[in-house]
Amino acid sequence: MADIGASAAAVVAPVPASMPKRPGMLRRLVREPVAAIALAIVVLLVLVALLAPWLAPTGPFDNDLSVALSVPGTEGLMLGADGQGRNMITRLLYGLRATLMMGVASVLLGGVVGALVGFAAAFYRRIDGLLMRLMDMLLSFPAILFGLAIAAILGPGISTIILALSVATVPLMARIVRGSAMVVMRQDYIEAARATGMSDARLILRHLAPNCLSPLFVFATLRFGQVILLGSALSFLGLGAQAPMAELGAMASEGRDFLFFAPHIAVIPCLLIFTIVLAFNLLGDALRDALDPRLRV
Amino acid sequence: MLRHVLQRVLMAVPVLLGVLLIGFLLMQVVPTDPATVRAGPTATAEVVAQIRADMGLDQPLYMQFGLYMWRLLHGDLGVSIINNVPVTQELGATIGPTLELMFASLFWSIPIGIALGTVAAYWRGSLLDRFVTALSVAGGSVPVFFLGLMLIWFVGFQWQWLPFTGRGGPLWSLEGWQSLALPALTLGGTFIAPVARMTRTAVLEVLGAEHVRTARAKGLGEFAVVLHHALRNALIPVVTLIGLQIGFLLGGAVVTETVFSWPGVGRLAVGAILSSDFPMAQGTILILSLGFIVVNLLVDILYVALDPRMRGA
Repeated sequence: MADIGASAAAVVAPVPASMPKRPGMLRRLVREPVAAIALAIVVLLVLVALLAPWLAPTGPFDNDLSVALSVPGTEGLMLGADGQGRNMITRLLYGLRATLMMGVASVLLGGVVGALVGFAAAFYRRIDGLLMRLMDMLLSFPAILFGLAIAAILGPGISTIILALSVATVPLMARIVRGSAMVVMRQDYIEAARATGMSDARLILRHLAPNCLSPLFVFATLRFGQVILLGSALSFLGLGAQAPMAELGAMASEGRDFLFFAPHIAVIPCLLIFTIVLAFNLLGDALRDALDPRLRV
Repeated sequence: MLRHVLQRVLMAVPVLLGVLLIGFLLMQVVPTDPATVRAGPTATAEVVAQIRADMGLDQPLYMQFGLYMWRLLHGDLGVSIINNVPVTQELGATIGPTLELMFASLFWSIPIGIALGTVAAYWRGSLLDRFVTALSVAGGSVPVFFLGLMLIWFVGFQWQWLPFTGRGGPLWSLEGWQSLALPALTLGGTFIAPVARMTRTAVLEVLGAEHVRTARAKGLGEFAVVLHHALRNALIPVVTLIGLQIGFLLGGAVVTETVFSWPGVGRLAVGAILSSDFPMAQGTILILSLGFIVVNLLVDILYVALDPRMRGA
């Protein structure tokens, strides 16, 4: 699903490099109440996921069949228990951890490769055409197809999903980075740096990359939400995390069997996925507005 | 125009070949030997060797690829490992329901999305605009399966209004309609948000254009201005963007089919992958990719057909 990420990212124009760095980006960001709340939720979720092993009341696989399907509010089980009698709070904490890790790994892997391709295309004009045609080809297939194909070859698993989502992220990131790098490349200071005999690697790292960072960050934030949505859908289909591992999409899928008499098992993980994606989408939109107010529509 | 169409078709050829090659290689890297599977567990080594020769598996890889292409052109995608049914037969039975689901979803969600986006753009900054914008951000964050499960729980289970498993019958029967309703609501429901957002942006851009000011200046009613002058021009980018979202729709369709046990290609693909039915998995992935290439091509051509300015480009 190149799609929504692409259209959202397409409006992120590169900030002209000549523009001085405006101080207090974070301060301007949190002045918007929606953005502040989204940022707070993101920070909270990340902290909770990191601290999952210490916060969880039980071990991730501990079960007690006598409390299976307990509804939220049961004595000692604030959010109830799942079909195997595992504490929902524990499962959610570990599930959140797995889901966020899947998202971070996909955006990081796909983003870094994509950014390298984008910089290479903008810097070495001779391979630009070839690289970008290759990216167009990748872009012409939705992430779900990568997910299905890679799962068919490697078998289901969380690494399958990370690989599929990374592949789907590469062309999007490459386009965005190439677009903003091309603008920066036209600046005089690049010419000046080149005239001093600086090496290509140094030129890219010291002068080109730092001036392309803001669209890159906006895209990564918005993409993170998309990746979580896609990844949890693939997990829901059974192509991702395998039992007994806790992952939010897989938990929703397990809860499907108990939907009619214990809906909380499916609904709570779904709500958590929705919260993550919404928070990242709002944060991404706010970041874009803060970094480049001209784009606000 | 013809030249443009030909050009686009030619550009799709390498992608198509790439997909076929990947589909072929997919079968090469899977851990099971098709000849052994075909021969069955009790077969002797000679029988397996005979079957391998019959299937052409003892040939060099490029010969095998040629054979694979030849079979493909004759509609032969192999036989399912699980139930011995020809892959093409299963595909033929599942494509219809998948298309049915996708069209039904688009049919109701696109008009609603376009209407919401237009209204939001026209009353820009109003409470209504904020409501639509908030709705589209929130709607774009809902997992497809969440929406599906909620519809099953409320509409199907609690209120018992509509069936929620399988396909009740062909589209021209009442049962067919009833069983299609919830899956189409689910898949379409996730599509409203992106359509509304894209329409809003496109209409906003056109509303500021000079020809809209001219239309107003010559005394046209607001309704005519928005409908004929603004929306009509805004539809060009919207149509393209909707076309580009078909991949997103496809992903949703695979999940929706699984949630509602809808007998489509997506559910077939997931089932084949999970049961290691490699020929079937390959066939479904191939057909989904081909369908996707064709849709992209059609969108590309439609875009030029709608916007004559693009013809020179």
